[in-house]
Amino acid sequence: MSTKEQKEHIELLQGTLDLLILRTLLLGRAHGHAIAKAIEFNSDDVLQVEEGSLYPALHRLIKRGWISFEEGPSENNRRAKFYRLTAKGRRQLAVETSKWDKLAGAIAQILRPAKQEGES
Amino acid sequence: MRRRERMMEDLDRDIREHIAMETQDNIERGMSPEEARYAAVRKFGNVTRVKEETREVWGFVWLEQFSQDLRFGLRMLRKSPGFTAVAVLTLALGIGANTAIFSVINAVLLKMLPVQNPHQLVLLDWASHGWPGASVLNGLSGTWHQDKSGQMTSTSFSYPIYEQIRTRNQAFSSVAALAGNGSQLNVGYKGQPGRADGELVSGMFFSTLGVEPILGRLLIADDDRNEASPVAVISYGYWQRRFGGDPGVVGRTITVNSILFTVVGVSPPEFYGIQPGRSVEVWLPLHTQPQVEPRWSPSSPEPGKNTEALPTSLFEARDHWWVLIIGRLRPDASEQQAEAGLEVILQQAIAVDVKPSSKPEAIPHLNVESGSKGLDNSRREFSKPLFILMAVVGMVLLIASINIANLMLARGTTRQKEIAVRLAVGAGRTRLVRQLLTESALLAGLGGAVGLALAFWGTDFLVALMASGRGPLNLNVSPDPRVLGFTAVISLLAGILFGLSPALRSTRLELTPNLKESAGEQLAVTNAKRGVRLRLRGALVVTQMSLSLVILVGAGLFVRTLRNLQNVNAGFNEQDLLLFGIDPTQAGYKGERLAEFYQELTRRLEALPGVRTVSLSHSTLIGGGGNFQRIRVQGYKPKSGEEVGAAINWIGPKFFETLGIPLVLGRTIADGDAERAPKVVVVNEQFVRQFLDDGQPIGRRFSLGETSGEETEIVGIVRDTKYFDLRQEAPATIYVPWLQQLDLNGAMHFEVRTADDPMKLVSAVRRVAQDMDANLALYDVKSQVAQINESLFQARLFAQLTSFFGALAALLACVGLYGVMAFAVSRRTREIGVRMALGASRAEIVEMILRETFVLLGLGIVIGILAALGAARLISSLLYGIAPNDPYTCVAVCAVLAGVALVACYIPARRAMRVDPMVALRYE
Repeated sequence: MSTKEQKEHIELLQGTLDLLILRTLLLGRAHGHAIAKAIEFNSDDVLQVEEGSLYPALHRLIKRGWISFEEGPSENNRRAKFYRLTAKGRRQLAVETSKWDKLAGAIAQILRPAKQEGES
Repeated sequence: MRRRERMMEDLDRDIREHIAMETQDNIERGMSPEEARYAAVRKFGNVTRVKEETREVWGFVWLEQFSQDLRFGLRMLRKSPGFTAVAVLTLALGIGANTAIFSVINAVLLKMLPVQNPHQLVLLDWASHGWPGASVLNGLSGTWHQDKSGQMTSTSFSYPIYEQIRTRNQAFSSVAALAGNGSQLNVGYKGQPGRADGELVSGMFFSTLGVEPILGRLLIADDDRNEASPVAVISYGYWQRRFGGDPGVVGRTITVNSILFTVVGVSPPEFYGIQPGRSVEVWLPLHTQPQVEPRWSPSSPEPGKNTEALPTSLFEARDHWWVLIIGRLRPDASEQQAEAGLEVILQQAIAVDVKPSSKPEAIPHLNVESGSKGLDNSRREFSKPLFILMAVVGMVLLIASINIANLMLARGTTRQKEIAVRLAVGAGRTRLVRQLLTESALLAGLGGAVGLALAFWGTDFLVALMASGRGPLNLNVSPDPRVLGFTAVISLLAGILFGLSPALRSTRLELTPNLKESAGEQLAVTNAKRGVRLRLRGALVVTQMSLSLVILVGAGLFVRTLRNLQNVNAGFNEQDLLLFGIDPTQAGYKGERLAEFYQELTRRLEALPGVRTVSLSHSTLIGGGGNFQRIRVQGYKPKSGEEVGAAINWIGPKFFETLGIPLVLGRTIADGDAERAPKVVVVNEQFVRQFLDDGQPIGRRFSLGETSGEETEIVGIVRDTKYFDLRQEAPATIYVPWLQQLDLNGAMHFEVRTADDPMKLVSAVRRVAQDMDANLALYDVKSQVAQINESLFQARLFAQLTSFFGALAALLACVGLYGVMAFAVSRRTREIGVRMALGASRAEIVEMILRETFVLLGLGIVIGILAALGAARLISSLLYGIAPNDPYTCVAVCAVLAGVALVACYIPARRAMRVDPMVALRYE
């Protein structure tokens, strides 16, 4: 083992993971494991999030006041934290989503420029 | 903080739950329990890292890590007390020396005046090429400088110019004038005479500076009028010293040069006037000058007329420049605006005096200089010496830091296992480097703290050394934020310097070889790296040697300079000579009474037992002071830009006899050369060589003064002597009988040739003067030998300090060399054992060690000599009687360093010699 690390998963940018979490919580409250599974499932398994990185993201969102949590029983009757959107978070989700759309649209435009004149 | 604690507590449990749930899901997908758990854990990622990252979200991680590093570093330092002690001491010496010198630099060059808003203060001065013509400037009092190109500057202006500036300026919110830089006043209090450093200032002086009294009040504009009753302000220090801090001092009367003054207030403790290094003790209103210092007033003798012409008032004289001008800028005015406006005022003020025949470049032009740090004089004098000393101690600190670096490199080698383990369990390399650097910083911090303590003592010592040349040097060297900041910065730099390389090196490891035990495998790997490491340490030692050599060469040059100066022939007999000064004009003597006083004093002194002869003169020799007189000699053509003049001294009849200056031709001054007798002078050989062509010098006439004043005749020639100081060659000198220019000679110095130790007669001499007039105090009482020693203070300062630091540097370099050689020998024990087993004798082993030592030494010498030759040129102006590239000094220093190298490699060589091949071959 050397002092360098190797990554196998697609590294999501910090902000993007936050956005996905917020969107996932729009549908209702969930605990950490459920959120991870939801992201995997809803992206058809393209996004294999390293599940550990979920937790720093969740704490970041708590610190910013975009989500809140409460303790509750999970499926196996064990205690877990359930996260949900706050009103602020809901607003932020709308803002971030529109920013993302703009960004994605701009990139797509550069990668596939619209054809100029008539098509042959 | 509390919130974070709570969040982190639950995180553990949350993560466990998460993995448990994933495991459950995996089991449902059909994996076996072990597989399920393994997959879940793998999918989660590095738990520790997740916890760390989450921790970071809540902040304060840097602080936590830093305090962790600090505690660990302290523990490591405590574990090796020997290393810590040596390192801290070495650093303390280096940092302490640097801080001490910087404190003095701070006090002399950088500190602001302790007044309000010093940035708004400006000082005025003027510049011209060559002396302005006599119609503009006939007499100058104060400081002036002229450089080799003839460019001259001065801070003195005439009073009418000051008046014009005061009334017509646009840029100042207030402006003041002062005079009397270095005036010694005779201050009498309760019947006791004493001397004090005084200054005459205009009424607005204190308000311009923005100073508040701590007792009573300070001078105001109303005090500075001709009709005002005389009042004085005393300084805090003088108040404590002379008046015992008596709070009732306000309203008491004192006599200053026999004039009654009322004390109106005391200035605050931190205020010393506007010249760093000089402490003014008494401030008097400028308009009291005619009574207090009447001899400043110009008299304008016309040829043929009685010399007792009516003195013009200094306040009206346009051609006598004597006041300094200081002003406070308006908040909205800039220095350039002020300069432009004031230059116009100056030119208009002198316009009427500028004759059409005057050279245009000789017309003075006004400059505005920042006044925030006060007057320039101390700075000019001490700048170069202080910077040279700063360079020397900087080099010493560098050498010390290299030693610490070598020590740490060696220590890094022994800690390799520890570091390897830490890297293996997942510590980030940056984190580890940061921790090692913190250890270095800790070491540097400790060294800095101890160094600061050493610097307190060192600074006082340094100031005492600098002051031994003249009166007390009052520098405020108490450490201020700038000095503390300086110490912190160089400690940090030193820490980074000696900590960075070892830290980087020891963390860049191949882990496997280090964790394994086998020596054989290790040897192959480490041999390659050892070469690199040794080369680095060798290069560092060579640097140390070169730096030591530079400092030692400097020390050698300065010591030789001091020796040369001490042995130089001054041209007179300086042994058994007592000097003192006295100023009867300050007790009201003048004219006939003055002449009689001096003659009577001379008679009484000669009558004392133990006294051989007595004489008096205006200036003493090698006293740092003297006068220069412009002359006109018929038939002498001056070179371009040359000021035609000679050094001048007014002397009594027995002067040459008392000082032991031989007469070469003609006669000396006699009692008959009195006031109404024909004007005669005696000159020295240099005068004849410089101004008179071949032919009989006795009887030649020339005139004193630029314009054709009265002529004087040469009646005698004496041997050359040094005059102002020992360094300069004996100048062309004119000796004038003091009675023939009585108006100029109020204060005189006496020279008493004694049969025995001159200092034994001091009390007897004082008693004689007291008996004649109890109001007079003697000053500058010292032996001629002591005065000469004082004049050598700078040479002595340099010789002592550079020798000390040179020895320190050599010692540190010796330790450094020892360290490298000891390391080399210990690492090569196996190799030595092999050599011995193959038949090498002990002598050959020692020779090998010596050869390697001397290779390092040789490199150090070569680089050092080159550097020293370059550096020596910078100090050539401070040397005397020796060239900067003096070969004897270089050879001597090389010999010293060779000796140092021998001492350093003695122990390692012995150890190498004693290697037992059988043990060494099994050594791991």
